[in-house]
Amino acid sequence: MKEYTVIGQRVPRIDGRQKVMGQAKYAADYSLPGMLFCKVARLPVAHAKILNVDTSKAERLPGVKAVVTAKDFNGWTWGFMANTRDEPPLAMDKVRYYMEAVAAVAAIDEDAAEEACDLIKVDYEELPSVFDPEDAIREGAPVVHDYRPNNVSVEYHWNFGDVEKSFAESYLVREDRFRTSRATKGYLEPPASLAWYDPAGYITVWAAKQSPYFHYRHLAACFGLPLSKIRVIQPFIGGGFGGTKNDSVAGDFCAVMLSKMTGKPVKFVYTQEEELTISKRRHSMIVYNKMGMSKDGLITAIQSRVIADGGGYTAVSPLTMYLTGCCTPLPYKLPNYKYDCYRAFTNNPICAAMRGHGVTHTRFACEIQMEMMAEELGIDPVEIRMQNAIDNPKPGEIYRTINDMTLKTCGIKEAIQTLVRDPLWAQKDKAPKQDGSVSYGVGMSATSYLGGARQLGHQSCAAIVRICEDGTVNLITGATDCGQGSDTVLAMIAAEELGVRYQDIDFKMVDSAYTPVDPGSYGSRVTVLAGQAVQTAAADAKKQLLDILGREWKVSPEEIEIRNAEVYHRSNPSRRIPFDKLAKIACYSGSGAVIIGKGYSGYGIEPLGFENGRGNAGTSFSFTAQTTRAGVDMETGHVTISDFVIAHDCGRPLNPIGAESQNEGGAVQGMGQAIYEDFIMDRGKTLNPTFLDYKMPRSTDVPDIKVIDIITDDPDGPFGAKEASEGSHVSAPPSVVAAIHDATGIWFKEQPVTAEKIVAALKEKGKWPGKQ
Amino acid sequence: MAQFYKRLPRFQYLLPKTIEEALSFLKEHKAAARLFAGGTDLIPQLKKREVDIPRCLVDLKGIPGLDSIAYDEEAGLKIGPLATINAIKDCPYVRDHYPSLLQAASSMASPQVRNRGTFAGNICSAVPSADSAPALLALEASVRLLGQKGAREVPMDKFFTGPRKTVLETDEMLLEIRVPRPKPGSRNVYLKLSPRHSMDLAIVGVAVVATCEDGICKDIKIALGAVAPTPIRVPAAERILEGKRITPEIIEEVSQNVAAQCSPIDDHRASLEYRRDMVYILARRALNNVLTK
Repeated sequence: MKEYTVIGQRVPRIDGRQKVMGQAKYAADYSLPGMLFCKVARLPVAHAKILNVDTSKAERLPGVKAVVTAKDFNGWTWGFMANTRDEPPLAMDKVRYYMEAVAAVAAIDEDAAEEACDLIKVDYEELPSVFDPEDAIREGAPVVHDYRPNNVSVEYHWNFGDVEKSFAESYLVREDRFRTSRATKGYLEPPASLAWYDPAGYITVWAAKQSPYFHYRHLAACFGLPLSKIRVIQPFIGGGFGGTKNDSVAGDFCAVMLSKMTGKPVKFVYTQEEELTISKRRHSMIVYNKMGMSKDGLITAIQSRVIADGGGYTAVSPLTMYLTGCCTPLPYKLPNYKYDCYRAFTNNPICAAMRGHGVTHTRFACEIQMEMMAEELGIDPVEIRMQNAIDNPKPGEIYRTINDMTLKTCGIKEAIQTLVRDPLWAQKDKAPKQDGSVSYGVGMSATSYLGGARQLGHQSCAAIVRICEDGTVNLITGATDCGQGSDTVLAMIAAEELGVRYQDIDFKMVDSAYTPVDPGSYGSRVTVLAGQAVQTAAADAKKQLLDILGREWKVSPEEIEIRNAEVYHRSNPSRRIPFDKLAKIACYSGSGAVIIGKGYSGYGIEPLGFENGRGNAGTSFSFTAQTTRAGVDMETGHVTISDFVIAHDCGRPLNPIGAESQNEGGAVQGMGQAIYEDFIMDRGKTLNPTFLDYKMPRSTDVPDIKVIDIITDDPDGPFGAKEASEGSHVSAPPSVVAAIHDATGIWFKEQPVTAEKIVAALKEKGKWPGKQ
Repeated sequence: MAQFYKRLPRFQYLLPKTIEEALSFLKEHKAAARLFAGGTDLIPQLKKREVDIPRCLVDLKGIPGLDSIAYDEEAGLKIGPLATINAIKDCPYVRDHYPSLLQAASSMASPQVRNRGTFAGNICSAVPSADSAPALLALEASVRLLGQKGAREVPMDKFFTGPRKTVLETDEMLLEIRVPRPKPGSRNVYLKLSPRHSMDLAIVGVAVVATCEDGICKDIKIALGAVAPTPIRVPAAERILEGKRITPEIIEEVSQNVAAQCSPIDDHRASLEYRRDMVYILARRALNNVLTK
């Protein structure tokens, strides 16, 4: 196998120095002369008909330059699909969730903008509301959107094989109700943008977006301008995790509109409390899961009926509900499968994508239910997994799931076996089970996640590699690094393919005036798809360089190699020049050649089969097995997670540091969802919209984490790579809950498994050592 | 129209150089003035508009000497109003004589907030879950207040009057927290339960100070945080144990009694039932800790 010079090296992040030195500028750090500040006014009611919005007092406040309301947008709405464009920038006829935006103000400072918001008077008539998704889809529930009178915002009914027949023939069938938590992303940088509407008809924004080109299309549509006049400049992004930063928010449209009205640049920055109250969060889903098994523990059928709390608008949820269903036939062989899902409109905040998108809900249900059944059958957690797990296809072969997803590589069995050998699992029975009031347990999970996702329609993903005359390189893509480290990986791919050093690559962030259109960061697609585009573009640039040198040296270009920024003749390696010399020769050839390599991702998949659930959701699939050791205080219910071991098949880690840290971060975020994180709601109002009360794991809650790479070299990924940022987010919750079960003897089916829930369950079973 | 965390409201900022000057500002502005020490409670409250917007903030940090922590065998510990939480945490006298204060200080907030926030401020903010309060109550601390009418000393168990309310008059300031020297042979402990391992609010806090002589409990003080409108002492439970031989049965009885004495709320942080159960668990642990080990 070819030895890589850059791929697989533990290189520092390309943006690391700037971030550490405080030099990296985020959206909120940008300002322009004469800039105004925008604040959004919101109605603290979950469901109400808007009768009148009176902005006259706000407009008269000194310092206020303009006020925008829904009528300024002429009824424009946006959404993921042509028939789900139900979200307006500002509420028009009614508000559908607590604190929905109704107006926005531009003023000379933030204080005046805030004060003006207080002076806006909204007359409204409160409407009957609905907050529970199961209530919402019952006959007679208050209607959230007239175009969906049954409150079902998305529904799919897919059927593969014959589950009924299979259940009838199964040795064991179990039905359980699972629920996932109301989790959110918890990034440090809330939504923010600086907007400038040039009266000549150009929009320029510096916006915190992990998918700048979605925002670019939204702005063009909202303001009726051609795409050529929309310029989205991507600053450094302070975390994404899907949902909000793939999309546009009220402040985005209002800042541009206020700039258009005033002729001045306008900036908005949401507060963290605002973000945690109204921004798009993960769906909480109720999963009624039914699984059949043979006496030997082979899974015969799964039927999942999923009811998701969607909140007030549709957003990206047709994709959410797709992913929630389509990946259930991974990572275990599944011959019969039925999926019925209902995403309910409610008067809760909008729910959308988040890391581990969709898959985390049903995989949690299936993984826990499988273990419960294995327990009933007396089969151990490793054996049940190994006998159901999908084998790694032989080179050139393809594994096809019952819903026509295709795998060329699958490291799940190797991952499980690796964990079985690891001391955490191998010596679990030797480790103490009890210390004072604390019981210890070890749990396992095995999961899968897609990489190289697509959404709808147009999915272009391209790269440009421009050679400078001194041998350095500009890498231009449409990809956005929202913190996951993709700029680093793309630079490594360019360096490896071109044969130069990593530090010779300069990465250009998105500026829609100059960079190629791209869907951005979601569905673990950047390394896989933008990576291939970069590899192709670098190969193209290399070919142009070698053609010129071949003429110069009077040899065939194929006889020349570039490695480590050295250019040499393959059969006569002493004939060599440094890469910068080659760049100079090439760039100065003729009247001055311009060496620009172009490439785009070629292995995009077919559009998703929303109606029947058939086909690939991603280009390839990662596989993750995880073990967790947890200590549960049987008196207080307090859980301490001491160890994670994660065996992850990402094909091949291109930047091992990046793959490791993504695995660690994903697992810790998954652990938060498993035991701490939940929005506490009271009639649509979020009672804990702060990081004091929305409990994300602190550094002192985080276990020791060991990440083991399972190398499978997927033929569809650049240098064999698959995804590495969402797999461990899916594997963490079932592994944590299995560890808590091992410690307490109790299976928990609702996330988060808080200390309080543990004590309540122990009391119910008569296991709580306190007074009863 | 509702908004969120806002910019700081406008107020006058006053920086007295002496205690007398600070008191004269308080006399002048009365309820329209707020004393400003660490600000780690006050500033967020102002941004959230949770408190009346003061006309002026009187910053105590310009007055020299208010951050002192002193100890002597006679008077015990004296904590100045500007002594930070970390200063208490790192103080050798606290470490040697008042482990419960050390446990309270170490468990509060983050290192950054502890560097900024003051121990006295934690008392004056009077939130029911303040970590310093149960320990100070059980140690029978008192506070020395100074105002226009002169100085007065208020025992800790008379200081809190309700959630975020104390006996402090609008023209008064806290001059000192006094913590008596623990009786020879006595032990003290503060146990806190919060969902996460650090940087989190107490769902329940229990402090116990007790002396055990020849298996007999002498002089027991039990205080609770986060489970009543103010931090509280539980004298009825103390009376059960006072002068009795220490047995698992009596510790069980007292722990149950302590749980029965509290009146927790049911809120988004924890249910009433869980808080009450945890008072029982933590009281039992704290009693065993000081009486049986």
